[in-house]
Amino acid sequence: MITLNNADKINEEIESHNKGKIPLKDRIKRNKGNNSNSNKPKLPLKERVKKQWDRNAIVYIFLVPTLLHFIVFQVFPFAFSFVLTFLDWKVIGDPEFVGLKHWIAFMNDGLAWKAIWNTVLFSIYYIVPTMSLGLILALIINSGVKASGLFKGIFFLPVVTSFVIIAGIWGWLFRGTESGMVNYVLSFFGIDTQLFLADSDQALMVLAGLSIFKVAGSTMIYYFAGLQSVDKQLYEAARIDGASPLRIFWTITFPLLKPIHFYVAIITTIGSFQIFDSTFLLTGGGPNYSTTTIVFYLYQQGFAGLNLSYAAVLSYVLFFIILVISLIQRKYLGQESNHY
Amino acid sequence: MKKLSIFLLLILLGTVLAACNSDEDAAATDGEVSGEITVWVHPYTSDANEEEAMWDEIVASYEEKFDATVTIETIPWGNRDQKILTALAANNGPDVFYAIPDQMPQYADEGMLLELDPYLEDNNMDDFVDTALVSTKWQDKTYGLPILQEAYTLFYNVEVVEAIGKDPENLPSTWSEFEEWAKAAKEEGYYAYSYQGGGSMNGTLYPFLWQAGGKVITQDDEVMINNAEGVEAFEFINKMYEKGWVPEDSITAMNHDAIWNADEMLAVQGSGISLTNLQESGLDFVIAPPLKNKEQRTYGTTGMFVVPSNSDNPNAAAEFVKTVTSAENQRRFNTVTQYIPARESAKDIFDDQKYLKQLSQYTQYALPGVIHPKGRNIMPMIQAEVQTMMEGEKTPQEAADAAAEAIEAEIAK
Repeated sequence: MITLNNADKINEEIESHNKGKIPLKDRIKRNKGNNSNSNKPKLPLKERVKKQWDRNAIVYIFLVPTLLHFIVFQVFPFAFSFVLTFLDWKVIGDPEFVGLKHWIAFMNDGLAWKAIWNTVLFSIYYIVPTMSLGLILALIINSGVKASGLFKGIFFLPVVTSFVIIAGIWGWLFRGTESGMVNYVLSFFGIDTQLFLADSDQALMVLAGLSIFKVAGSTMIYYFAGLQSVDKQLYEAARIDGASPLRIFWTITFPLLKPIHFYVAIITTIGSFQIFDSTFLLTGGGPNYSTTTIVFYLYQQGFAGLNLSYAAVLSYVLFFIILVISLIQRKYLGQESNHY
Repeated sequence: MKKLSIFLLLILLGTVLAACNSDEDAAATDGEVSGEITVWVHPYTSDANEEEAMWDEIVASYEEKFDATVTIETIPWGNRDQKILTALAANNGPDVFYAIPDQMPQYADEGMLLELDPYLEDNNMDDFVDTALVSTKWQDKTYGLPILQEAYTLFYNVEVVEAIGKDPENLPSTWSEFEEWAKAAKEEGYYAYSYQGGGSMNGTLYPFLWQAGGKVITQDDEVMINNAEGVEAFEFINKMYEKGWVPEDSITAMNHDAIWNADEMLAVQGSGISLTNLQESGLDFVIAPPLKNKEQRTYGTTGMFVVPSNSDNPNAAAEFVKTVTSAENQRRFNTVTQYIPARESAKDIFDDQKYLKQLSQYTQYALPGVIHPKGRNIMPMIQAEVQTMMEGEKTPQEAADAAAEAIEAEIAK
């Protein structure tokens, strides 16, 4: 789906190149005008195609490579993996049609549901903290503190560092023995040695912490861009009216960041449902499946167990979950913001 | 999901290609060796040049005997399974590739591997270490020949051994002796052993299970993990954790290097690879034989060469597998890679290397894991139950029973 967005963006870019330097708003208006006009006089299809071609031929020619790539590497595998869910796929030899067997197996697979539940839990631990931490960091670097560039760099560092390294550091910090760094610090507060990754109640939270640490830097950048685009006059007006900084934040900054909230929410949600590497690197899905996420389970089924058809079913389940959540988010967060 | 989709597409493209290619299969079963074969190997050391020279020699020894040409392709270890599967499905895979024990039965059971028995009558099979052949057979048929073995055994930190008042010349050989040492270590404030519960069961439960005389599952799908011997192994691990002989984070730990390197641990499991690291670290260590309870057993992987069933040139491929695993080539290969040869006669390469010579004697006790097509699938299930037991939520018996139940459900799928 990310790539779908990309493709759209690329299309837009190509179009905007071809349309020259007409301001965006005008173009949108014009497009709207075109749409409503074309509804009135119904030209025959052939002529409409020809007209369209005459006008935009170059666009379509430039689009061909992108579209081909998109069809071959996105649309086709996507469709084919759906067919795969109805087959018993032997890597060598003839696949056997088994109908809904794998879908029924999924319905009765307690572990798959547990993996989904773990993923949902992970999202709860992860999405809101990542967004709020990103926003807080963005507010810090936007507040005009000295050396904000340096802070920006430091906050962004985890994003550009390899995940394997970050995970290694995190695992080292949260070692479940007395000599583990965090345990050592906790011991000064009289807190007993915690097991962290070896405790089925804590492991998922520690992993969520790792992801927050890793991703908050990039949400910070989105929010920072959002903050920069808020009209300064609004702040000025509010200050003249004597609004407190907190009030300014909740009534101006926060609501005006709505498009950013929406975008970041979608991105982090998708990311959280695709979480795999931290489990793979730090816990191997344990203890007792408490960190087995849907993608980790899918990987185990598909690539360790060679159960490719069942893995395809799981990937479709994952797809539908992400789709539904994105649609819900779109409904509640994605309307055009018309504050002020 | 994107990755998966691409992978599936490759598979499909492969099938299309396979369909176009299918008339090539007519080639030989009449015993004649000619043509070309492609062999997939992996980087076994960090020295690519030395390995290339080694393969040149091995290939030369083959091309001397047979009128066939060999292309060696070195494939990186990462995602090797996917690469092999994709290439085989596309029918443009190798004619010979390197396989590991848990891969072999899985592939063999899917009919992806060529049975080698018809080619082996003239091959000196008695020279192979018995345990090395375990992982090459599935349902009494041979699908590969081993080139290397490993044997995990216990490495003791001499400093710690002396600190707890024991004799490094006289190391524990049975469970009860080990328990006594572990107790002493705990009393002196050391951990006794590194149990890496987040890693493969080959390094955790399985060796103890085999030492207790137990078995996870037979090749005829009989689940044995929860018999008396199996439960004894579960109990032993539970005891080690409850008594604090192993670190608190052992439930999901992937390594305890920091503790071991800080001289705070009595013993770890190790093999030839750990040997290299240990010798570099300068830590003073001694190597003990694998532990024994009812039986003396340990884990050690086997590396083998196999021929996919869709090879265009099965005769030349099978002969290559025989040549590469001959005593002479095992010497070449293992001198460079420092693994243990899977043929007794080739073990003489370590005659003047104290530690490797000692380790090479232990491959006779080294089992290659659970040889079963579902071996990989059932491992996480057993792991989860052992973890539940260590967390104190199940007794060893309950955990073993639950593991058996989960395995049976998986087999029935």
